[in-house]
Amino acid sequence: MADDRARADDRQVVAEAAVCLTGAGMLRGAKDMLFALVSVVLFAMAFGIAARGAGLEGWAAVLMSGMVFAGASQFAALELMTSPVPWLPLLMVVFAVNARHILMGAALYPWFGRLPFVQRLLPAALMTDINWAQAIQAYDRGERDLGHLVGSGLLLWVTWIAGTAAGAALVDTVAMDLDRLGMDLIFLLFFVCMLTGLRRGRSDDIAWAVAGGTALLAWQVLPAHWHVLAGALAGGVAGLLHHERRRTKGSGP
Amino acid sequence: MSPIETALAILAIGLVTYATRIGGILIMARIPVSPRIEAFLRYLSGSVLVAVVVPPVIATGPAAWLAVAATLAAMLKTRHALLSLVVGMATAAAYRALA
Repeated sequence: MADDRARADDRQVVAEAAVCLTGAGMLRGAKDMLFALVSVVLFAMAFGIAARGAGLEGWAAVLMSGMVFAGASQFAALELMTSPVPWLPLLMVVFAVNARHILMGAALYPWFGRLPFVQRLLPAALMTDINWAQAIQAYDRGERDLGHLVGSGLLLWVTWIAGTAAGAALVDTVAMDLDRLGMDLIFLLFFVCMLTGLRRGRSDDIAWAVAGGTALLAWQVLPAHWHVLAGALAGGVAGLLHHERRRTKGSGP
Repeated sequence: MSPIETALAILAIGLVTYATRIGGILIMARIPVSPRIEAFLRYLSGSVLVAVVVPPVIATGPAAWLAVAATLAAMLKTRHALLSLVVGMATAAAYRALA
């Protein structure tokens, strides 16, 4: 009886330690993000330069980086920042490029879901591709402090804003061909690095092949930017079907 | 664009973007997470990135193909993301300088 109570207490302690949001966690998250900062600065500078090239003032480029904080959609929005504002295309494009966040947030739900609602608002605002991938890996390692996502996100946010400002300022001082330096590929190569870290086995290859193939097809036939959603959903379904088939065969996990 | 127009457009896309960030969490709060949903989401995570990367890499041409191959090789060999990025960008820059 006393043993049972002791065990129940233990379990409660484990549960309390299981999910939280602390400064120590934020520090760990920020440290996990240091490796990425140089490339984030370069990518942010590329955005600042592109924004000035598209006719945006420097303050607007910086404001956009601060408020939107989602590189791919910011690049995509630049084409549509015209007067009068094409509201529907602009918002649809930004939604399409960023719709993956819905799936990313859902993937982090086992983590988010155990915190009070108010505590979910800030971490959600700071979730980007890079620190989300880091958070997924950290969660697999046993990290349960959502401060990890907040700390890495805050560091990225500040870096992203500063890099944008630097890039926008650079346009007025130096002329250069960034494509020649391979700067246009930073974003894509970054994702390649993250995928190498995310891969857990051959079942991923099947899902990812379907995702890539579907995205490529959707890219040809659907309006711009919807290929991300199409490919991601197809990959998820393919992975699920593979998972189910293996489970009914009863051969391993 | 007037400053007001610019600021309003940025505010609007900021709000849409935040809605996508909180949206998945709100939806999941209303759906119980079964093992099937968990498996689906596990494969979804990588698939999102693959879907972002593949079409533009194919479209950009040999410079991007070589850069991706070089980054992938460096990443598998060293597991160092920044180094692998630099290797990839240098490969693209070299190809473009020669081609």
